Amino acid sequence: MPDVLKINKLSAGYGPLRVLHEVDLTVQSGERIGLVGLNGHGKTTLLRAITHMSGWQQGSIKFNDLEIGGSRSIGAGRRTPRLVRSGIAIAPQGDAIFPGLSVRKHLECGAYTKLAWREKNKRIDKVFDIFPPLRMLEHSLVGKLSGGERRMVSIGRMLMVEAKLYLIDEPSLGLAPKISHGVMEALWALPVNDAAMIIAEQNVNLLSGKVDRIVGMHAGRMRGEVGHVSLVSGD
Amino acid sequence: MDLGLFVYALNLASIYALMAIGVSILWSSVGLLNMAHGATFAVSGYGAWLVTGFMKPIIIASFGKTALASFIMASTLVGSALISGAIFGAIIYLLAFLPIHDKPNYAVRGLIITLAINIASVQSLLYLFGPRNRGLPKIFGFGRWEVWGTKIRYDQAGTIIGAIIILSLTLAWLRYSRRGLEVRAMMQNAEGAAYSGISRKVTALPVLMLTGALAGMAAALLSQTIFVSPTSGSVPHIMGVTIALLGGLGSVPGAVIGAILIGFLEAFIGSVPFLGQRYVMFATFSFIIAVLVIRPRGISGLLDDTRE
Repeated sequence: MPDVLKINKLSAGYGPLRVLHEVDLTVQSGERIGLVGLNGHGKTTLLRAITHMSGWQQGSIKFNDLEIGGSRSIGAGRRTPRLVRSGIAIAPQGDAIFPGLSVRKHLECGAYTKLAWREKNKRIDKVFDIFPPLRMLEHSLVGKLSGGERRMVSIGRMLMVEAKLYLIDEPSLGLAPKISHGVMEALWALPVNDAAMIIAEQNVNLLSGKVDRIVGMHAGRMRGEVGHVSLVSGD
Repeated sequence: MDLGLFVYALNLASIYALMAIGVSILWSSVGLLNMAHGATFAVSGYGAWLVTGFMKPIIIASFGKTALASFIMASTLVGSALISGAIFGAIIYLLAFLPIHDKPNYAVRGLIITLAINIASVQSLLYLFGPRNRGLPKIFGFGRWEVWGTKIRYDQAGTIIGAIIILSLTLAWLRYSRRGLEVRAMMQNAEGAAYSGISRKVTALPVLMLTGALAGMAAALLSQTIFVSPTSGSVPHIMGVTIALLGGLGSVPGAVIGAILIGFLEAFIGSVPFLGQRYVMFATFSFIIAVLVIRPRGISGLLDDTRE
């Protein structure tokens, strides 16, 4: 199995604050990885550092054997569009939606490659199949939707192009258990094929039995790794 | 309020709307508070003056004094103003955006650099063309219509119609084109735009050129009423920035409503006998300050029922 992502001694933070302390992580293609840890222990910062959205960072990040890391103290977000175009799809924490755009326009924004733009209607239809509630809301503004619908829009935007690496930050954050279960089911139903998926999540129960590996984060360091977990028996 | 006052108010509102929308779009999508917008206005006025001065004998020689000739003259004037505005926008992109867009304090630095560009270009215009006012050819001709007993000057009617056409084109571009979608995405959530593969570096160039062209259109239209001079951009610029603030920076409908409100307020204050023209600025700025004290997000805060 080739490595989709190989992180070596990655440190990152914001200004004087150091959040990640020399993190190592390898993700192989076809894997679904659960990244668990408490609030403020660096899950989101790790995902942000992979897309160059953290304040500063240093260390090696190899994406498909291509070095995308390096030392950087300013310019957060400058390389993000290029990284996204090279095949890293992200559904960020807080959804990063465009409040004044309709659901359809929103999904069109996600179709940034030439191919995806050409067949955007087909792809939007596919997203609607994954998240049926969105079909009814096609022309309503995303800023008026509920939290669960926003999460679906945010993940749907991520799914508009084929990526090599899917980063999903707290898909259950702020959602009612029933809705978050629906969102998670949709994520498990996605074919990963030769891509890889990292899901940052606090609720281990939601991940158990569904992901190939669970990686724990504590105080900005990797703590422990479990393979093929099923923590809750009979669930 | 009689019809003449109404037309005068709309005339002011259309110039203000062109300026305010440029400032508003630029600030919310690119994050640059363009202090050189007034310079863009003046430069495009002079660009149009140079081009029309050069083209006038040619047009007269080849078409005489027909209706076609005046139509070609009008399109030359508007086209040259739009193009010089767009070129100046591209220059601002090269000088004030590209070198610093990923550096810390980009917004403040951009403000300072564009202010420097503004001063430098106004001084260069003074150096090159002198302080004399320049008159551009009157593309709408001289004369007035009689509508219900009031006289509407051609230049006023032309300004209002021209501004409406250009604004509709801009809004249609924002709404229906792919680049416009990217610009709107950037205006609403810069981070989400970056996660959608929309690069600020790439998108900033068409945005700066578009807002420059809007300032150029405002210059072309205002040149029909008053003269072009090196400092002619300063008042439209100040009004544009304050109206963009009044409308809520980043909101195109807010800027349009703000421009209409201010246009009518100016026309009305100017017509009240005991107030008159000298209280116009005082009244408009008091109004804008009062609105911003009560509604810090400006008019768009009232229109907007979405949440982040």
